[in-house]
Amino acid sequence: MQRIPVAERADWRETAREHGFDFHSIDNDRYWDESAYYRFTLRQVEEDLEDPTEELENLCFDVVERAVADQEVLSRLGIPTAYWDYVAQSWHNKDRNLYGRLDFSYGGTAPAKLLEYNADTPTTLYESSIFQWVWLEQAMERGLVPAGADQFNSLHERLLEALPQLGIDGALHVACAKDSQEDRGTVEYIADCARQAGLTSQLLYMDDIGVDQDGRFTDLEDRVITSLFKLYPWEWILQEEFSQHVPASGVQIIEPAWKMILSNKGLMALLWEMFEGHPNLLPCYFEGDPRASALGDDYVRKPLLSREGSNIRVVQGGQVSFENDGPYGAEGHVLQALHPLARFDGNHAMVGSWLVASQPAGMCVREDHSLVTTDDARFIPHIILD
Amino acid sequence: MATGQAGMNVARNALDLASGRPPAPAFDSRKDIPLKRSRSVALVMMGASAIALSACDEPQIDAALFDGVQQCIDNKDFSADVCESNFVAAREQHAQVAPKYRSQADCEADFGGQQCETAPYRTESGSSVFMPLMMGYMMGSMLGGRGGVASQPLYRSADDPKSFRTADNKNVGGRTGLTKVARSATARPSAKGFTVSRGGFGARARGFSAGG
Repeated sequence: MQRIPVAERADWRETAREHGFDFHSIDNDRYWDESAYYRFTLRQVEEDLEDPTEELENLCFDVVERAVADQEVLSRLGIPTAYWDYVAQSWHNKDRNLYGRLDFSYGGTAPAKLLEYNADTPTTLYESSIFQWVWLEQAMERGLVPAGADQFNSLHERLLEALPQLGIDGALHVACAKDSQEDRGTVEYIADCARQAGLTSQLLYMDDIGVDQDGRFTDLEDRVITSLFKLYPWEWILQEEFSQHVPASGVQIIEPAWKMILSNKGLMALLWEMFEGHPNLLPCYFEGDPRASALGDDYVRKPLLSREGSNIRVVQGGQVSFENDGPYGAEGHVLQALHPLARFDGNHAMVGSWLVASQPAGMCVREDHSLVTTDDARFIPHIILD
Repeated sequence: MATGQAGMNVARNALDLASGRPPAPAFDSRKDIPLKRSRSVALVMMGASAIALSACDEPQIDAALFDGVQQCIDNKDFSADVCESNFVAAREQHAQVAPKYRSQADCEADFGGQQCETAPYRTESGSSVFMPLMMGYMMGSMLGGRGGVASQPLYRSADDPKSFRTADNKNVGGRTGLTKVARSATARPSAKGFTVSRGGFGARARGFSAGG
């Protein structure tokens, strides 16, 4: 795994515009960054990332299996009591999931260590699947990267295969919160894929969803929503006014409710408890667990439900070396062994490993100047070349 | 009622986004191993590469439209049994799939005077809900045997009373008897609820990103 500086395509902004990529810069700071790329060997991708991703997904299924049968686990994860049956039902019904992203600390030599699982509302999808792919094709054509390079990125094909398998009968409504260009771009891409997969898709905002006389959800034209892809966290849905209608509404929600067990940072503690010593896992405990003393003076404290690096505290040598503020943490925390991200030219790299329908489907690398990957991170394309 | 969206023909739009060439081969010929990346990628709605084709580019399929059972029987293309059973199937969907209105005036603004009826629903305060009268039905042509197009109710809007529209506002033309309609218009119509409340989701977002 190497970080290789490279010339940018002179016309990349124009190319981004043509391809509907309108969140390549955020608040005038660059998010898409093709001034460098990461080069992996095929062995690194397949043995160090792809295979562990598939294996970890299966371990995650064991965690879900345990959680839905154990109210103490659901309680520790902060899932509201009123929805325990609903979550368990979604698992027992085998409600299909579409996609997710495992985030690893990996630098090319030691085993990749799982930091967390973005199982419920992963963004970064469009730029991984489309714009990174277009970059590689053009970069090879223009001699910016060696011809014959490849990329771990079958996201687009896998999404088009997975969408028709979700059992959607009628239209797929695709929703996100207002006011985030990045979220909007992600759901537009999902809706685009659904259309290509032969489904009827309809975009809307979560705020626009209505409830009809029978407790069914409706869109702005009063069409009953039968299948809903929502880029909106389950834990928020269950705290909001319409949550009471979810179980009886008959709506198929993607990602399904059982995925809220995996998007919770408590997953990392449960995985360690059940599979202690696994080479791709880091020691991790719920805060307050006496076993956490095994972590010593170096650990990361994460809220069970934080997003984009908010409310993360890094403790090194017993001292707080980094702390991010934010609105999360009321539901509790986990303490995870510190495994700093690999540094390349002063940048901390985090490797995201994609799953579509629970199968490994691609990779993305994000860089940040700080130890913790936040929403200031930049997306750096990658290639595979032996 | 607004005109329905133009149909999309995915296959014809699915260009290789990098170069406009046909998709690259699935295998790297030099090594004869499968690639780890998609053979091709495409967008049909996002960005400038998304080209909406006009409805006439959409595949047309055989169907039959009638304003009622008697017209179907008089047409003599179908037996009375077939006419009747398809009408009943469409009629059963009518109250579910027809658009719903809070007032008769709003309904008549879209569908014309005397063209609305009360729906078998009540508002939260107990007053009536209105929906357009069913003005006809669409059924399969039977040309390929049974199966194919499932029957569904049809409506006529005030601004285009000569054409039939599906409950999802797809124009299927005004010609009765055997005809051709856009494939997308034959999709099962969505149920239409009477929305009693909106805005019960979204409060937690408050301007910060929901994704991660």
